[in-house]
Amino acid sequence: MTTSESSATTVSSAPESSDWVGRSFKRKEDHRLTTGKGQYLADIAAPGMAHLVFHRSTHAHALIKKVDTSKAAKMPGVLAVITGAELKDQILGFPQPVVVPALEAKYPTFWPLALDKVKFHGEPIAAVVAVDKYQAEDAALVIEVEYEPLPVVLDPEKALEAGAPRVHEIFDDNEMFALTFTGGQTQEEQDANDKDVEALIQEADVVVKQRFRVHRTGVTPMETRGALAQWDESDGLLAHVTTQRPHIDRLALADMLSIPPQMVQVIAPRDQGGEFGVKAPFYREPILVCHMARKLGRPVRWVETREEHLMCVSQERDQIHDIEVAAKSDGTITAVRDRAIGDAGDGCEGVYWGFLMPFLGAALLPNAYDLPKCDIKLRVAFTNKSALSPARSFGAFPARFALDRAIDLVARKLGMDPADVRRKNLITELPYTSATGVHYDSGDFLKTWDNLTKTIGLTAFRKEQAKALKEGRYIGIGFAVGAELSGVASEVLVPMENQPGYGAATVRVDPRGTVLVFEGDAPGGQGHETSLAQIAAQEFGIHPNDIVVKTGDTSITPFGSGTIGARAGSYTASAVSIACRRLKDKIAVIMAHDLKLEDATPEDFEFKNGEVIYKGGNIRKTFVEMTNRIIMMPLDLPEGVDAGLDETAFFEADKPMICFSCHGTIIEVDADTGQFEIKKYVTSEDAGTVINPLIVEGQVQGAVVQGISNTIFEEFVYDENGQQLTADFENYQIASAADVPRVMVTHAGVPCPHTPLGTRGLGEGLPGPVPAALGNAVSDALQPFGIEITDLPLRANKIWAMIQEAKKKTAA
Amino acid sequence: MYPAIIEEYLAPATVADALAAIAKHDGEATVFAGGMSVMQAIKARLIEARCVIDLGNIAELRGVSVGPDGAAIGPMTRYADLVRDKKLHGAYQALNDAASTVGDRQVRNRGTIGGSLCWNYIAACMPPTVLALDARIELTAPGGGKRTVPIGEFFLGALETVRRDEELMTKITLPAAKGKAGSSYKKWSTQVDGLPIIGVAVYIETDGSGVCTVARFAVGGILPIVKRSAAAEGQLVGTKASDADGIARATAAAAEELDPQGDRWVQAAYRKLLIQSLGGEVVAKAFERATGGAA
Amino acid sequence: MNKDVKISINGVAYEKSVPLRMLLVDFIRDEAGLTGTHIGCTYEGRCGTCTVQMDGEAVKSCMLLAVQADGREIATVEGLASNGRLHPLQEAFNEHHALQCGFCTPGILMNTEEFLKENPDPSEAEIRRSLVGNICRCTGYDHIIDAIQTAAKRLRQA
Ligand SMILES: Cc1cc2nc3c(=O)[nH]c(=O)nc-3n(C[C@H](O)[C@H](O)[C@H](O)COP(=O)(O)OP(=O)(O)OC[C@H]3O[C@@H](n4cnc5c(N)ncnc54)[C@H](O)[C@@H]3O)c2cc1C
Ligand code: FES
Ligand code: FES
Repeated sequence: MTTSESSATTVSSAPESSDWVGRSFKRKEDHRLTTGKGQYLADIAAPGMAHLVFHRSTHAHALIKKVDTSKAAKMPGVLAVITGAELKDQILGFPQPVVVPALEAKYPTFWPLALDKVKFHGEPIAAVVAVDKYQAEDAALVIEVEYEPLPVVLDPEKALEAGAPRVHEIFDDNEMFALTFTGGQTQEEQDANDKDVEALIQEADVVVKQRFRVHRTGVTPMETRGALAQWDESDGLLAHVTTQRPHIDRLALADMLSIPPQMVQVIAPRDQGGEFGVKAPFYREPILVCHMARKLGRPVRWVETREEHLMCVSQERDQIHDIEVAAKSDGTITAVRDRAIGDAGDGCEGVYWGFLMPFLGAALLPNAYDLPKCDIKLRVAFTNKSALSPARSFGAFPARFALDRAIDLVARKLGMDPADVRRKNLITELPYTSATGVHYDSGDFLKTWDNLTKTIGLTAFRKEQAKALKEGRYIGIGFAVGAELSGVASEVLVPMENQPGYGAATVRVDPRGTVLVFEGDAPGGQGHETSLAQIAAQEFGIHPNDIVVKTGDTSITPFGSGTIGARAGSYTASAVSIACRRLKDKIAVIMAHDLKLEDATPEDFEFKNGEVIYKGGNIRKTFVEMTNRIIMMPLDLPEGVDAGLDETAFFEADKPMICFSCHGTIIEVDADTGQFEIKKYVTSEDAGTVINPLIVEGQVQGAVVQGISNTIFEEFVYDENGQQLTADFENYQIASAADVPRVMVTHAGVPCPHTPLGTRGLGEGLPGPVPAALGNAVSDALQPFGIEITDLPLRANKIWAMIQEAKKKTAA
Repeated sequence: MYPAIIEEYLAPATVADALAAIAKHDGEATVFAGGMSVMQAIKARLIEARCVIDLGNIAELRGVSVGPDGAAIGPMTRYADLVRDKKLHGAYQALNDAASTVGDRQVRNRGTIGGSLCWNYIAACMPPTVLALDARIELTAPGGGKRTVPIGEFFLGALETVRRDEELMTKITLPAAKGKAGSSYKKWSTQVDGLPIIGVAVYIETDGSGVCTVARFAVGGILPIVKRSAAAEGQLVGTKASDADGIARATAAAAEELDPQGDRWVQAAYRKLLIQSLGGEVVAKAFERATGGAA
Repeated sequence: MNKDVKISINGVAYEKSVPLRMLLVDFIRDEAGLTGTHIGCTYEGRCGTCTVQMDGEAVKSCMLLAVQADGREIATVEGLASNGRLHPLQEAFNEHHALQCGFCTPGILMNTEEFLKENPDPSEAEIRRSLVGNICRCTGYDHIIDAIQTAAKRLRQA
């Protein structure tokens, strides 16, 4: 099979097969990206552009007594210096409704620059705009801030205690958000449910009770954030922003800067150096960049440094779960109780506010297991850290770790293989609604699971393990699963983020038989230009190289909520498909009219190999002939049919859809040092119909390695004063190629019945099962010592200390 | 971040010119070797380099020669050059080991042994290695006056050495092996080739029957500076490669004597363990190299 | 505090007066307008996205001053394809889907091009270690390894 190399500007010859969906078509993005012609935000400049640099807090919690910008203002090249006190009278502050969820919580008031108090190390206090970026930095460094330090609160549990230092004075305490996820809407219903769960725990054959803790880590992309704003009195604001949700940013910018929305255009550069959720919030910095461009009447650009990035964003996870799991002697889990605690940091962040991640994590806790009786409660605290910002496997990473580790503990108590307990409790009948109200539309979990245990060779492994133990080698196997929302429907997204969930796409057919697809979302490496082209190619029976996908520009693309929650493969792909199908129907109706085929219906026409074929009589016209006829020669059209081939479709699933992923890993631990090696890592996916297998494989491998890196290497560390100690890549350690194993990706999926092509989105949640799989494997290997991993990161020195402790106990 | 304003940049071609330039700036100039450490500090604005003197063009400071009297290494010899240098195999092979695990390819293409020694970062790979090899450091002052400092006296505290601001490191010499000698270096870090939590370098000389006659055991990654363990060395003399218990006693003695501290990466006890486990490996390797087991 | 420099990038000489403190990466991006070389670090020089070759050796251009490249030959990703023909590494990266966002890719290509000259037939483990200085956040590295193996094979046969 060859995939065409021909240039996208000419109409390609008809392909040998018109099945483009399911092919590892080589990515269209790659030519520019491998030749250095990609245009990421920092590569885009405007004539006369000035540079903005922030001055950020060196304290985690302090009153701002004075900000002296006089020295900075006099530095060479400086055009403007601005402080929070000045800004407050010039623009509106947060919260603005478009970036506030429809959930009850304490939403702090804040401006892009701190006013009278800083709440975390790195909070922006002032900014300098200068003609040269070196000069802007020189000036930002000489801004002098007088602080009056306040007591810091860093531990979320301590923050929730009475009398803890308050992060936000306007609130009585630090409890930002609290919710009971189970039992019903009313207090009585919930109380009754809690009682039922308590009773089930009392009468269970075994109960596991354990605290699990996942550290602060996230998925910082290689490209940091940035914004380039241009202002024109008559046209308004043009803002290039690194963002996953340009349309929402546009509305929010219009609101905060009091600019009529029709005068705001946001462009997410088509090349973004990774996003993974980190670029989904509506952040404060771009607002200031836009404001300063307007104020100065010249383009202003801010490119975030890695230090700013690691100080202020891409911090996620950070949850505590006190979990109890009750089970019958045959391994059936009868009840789960979880008291979860989240750490929102200062919570000052548009859209997510630092608590939506733990919120969704708690909602997704039941995972792919049939757990009808749960009592799940969450509290989220404000602390003097940066606000949590989303990272792939949004909120679920710590929850997955807690439950999937607890299942292994249950198995241990029962003397069963954890794999058997896991299988026994997987949901077998779908659709299914979890105790937390999450809807699982379809899939075959057992098939996907059995494929995993077979591929990794569980039975053979147990024999090998016994043999290895006799030789003094400790090898273990660990599993975990993840049922993830594949795209988030309005049903979930409207209450959660106050935004629609539909996927949107415009398909515009050209007279020359080529096609433009417009997507309002803003990808960052997921290959939308290729996979969406494959979909339109499949529909129209033309070559993907004859299709160009445009993304991220609010002035040309349909409204969409953004590249969030693995929705391209499900929602956006479906919208493309639907728009294409509507256009196909139109083409068929006109062709039938032209050919005077009175009884023909659109179903009688086929689009294949560059032709439109009337199947009834094997009458063919080329696709180009038809598109040219309809667009350029709109004469004698059937009654009621208008000219043109341009269609926008909005796809909304009736119910949220999911995708399912099972992970298995084999690890060898050196009991003398605690050092361990991942020998094997295998996943089994149910992603429905796969649009492009190579792209999907890349998504899974990348996500698993992010999960491994989060679990073992990466950790945001604050010292006791709230100083962020890990704001560079020497201290915030991301796995390199030499640190990670190969990841084997297998599929055992069934097509999704709720999308036109059977596709499901995949990718967002894939790091989720990784920490439990790794923790389970290490614990399995170390069962001779009775060791159970409950805390992350998973580090050799901690494992070694646990082994020493265990040896001491047995000696005693 | 960007460097603060630099007022002068000089790239002399000879040591004499470099020293003259340093003298002219009263020792206030910032010397660049590979720049892999000093640029970090300059970009972080921990150092304001008003005048930069780049040693990159000075050919006489580069290169490795090995002869009957020992080895001489130019301080501007890069890690990439050391990695490839087979002349060092055997007695000085710890240098190949250490250089090959410093950072990454790009860092090894620039970073130098002299830069590493002058910077004296506590978790660097070269300091324990040259300590185990009992190097002597030649320092040259403006005017050409030279002094030679035994490596044991060269390192002071973290990021501090006896080198005066106006002096350049001009040569690193390693004594000739008396018997059959071998050396080895190994580090452990949370990531492959990362900055070491502990790095251990060992030099072993043996007599004809493979018994250790001279041992030097040096450890990096402990506060405040790289150190040798006399206790371990005392225990190693008289042992053989096959004497696993003797070697274990020696590495345990090193862990006790050096008494490393804990930090946010690992606890003290784990550093002790690493001294023992890495120590065992490098001693074995050094024996193997001394007795011609493998190159 | 400026200096006249002549830096050759991909065979084209750029003669400019630059501030002494200008980083080489900024010279390449802002002065020569070659934005295929990226920046991912503040000061630490860890990520490798800025990797270029200086006189044929892979270096991190964020860790050098532009004046240090005066009179030298710099090669960036923009010069990797010749006469409109992609380099075998570029082709193999496309075939194996060895890039997602592509931010790390230019640095990896420039490092690996030199690495394969030094070691034309590397094992997987050697390739992995050759990439320690280039973080990729998207791919998980497997496809990058595959692509490098394919390119190495083609380069050996060429
Ligand atoms: C990403 C990364 C990873 C790294 N990983 C490691 C690692 O794993 N292990 C490790 O050991 N190191 C590591 N390093 C540090 C690296 O080894 C440095 O190269 C080394 O510490 C300094 O060498 P240099 O030649 O670059 O010196 P420079 O940075 O140029 O100089 C350092 C200091 O020494 C002075 N100096 C240099 N040469 C002379 C001389 N001849 N006379 C007088 N003064 C002189 C300079 O004034 C300067 O203050 C890493 C660095 C980076 C950027
Ligand atoms: S920007 Fe140069 S190594 Fe990261
Ligand atoms: S492809 Fe995105 S960082 Fe490598």
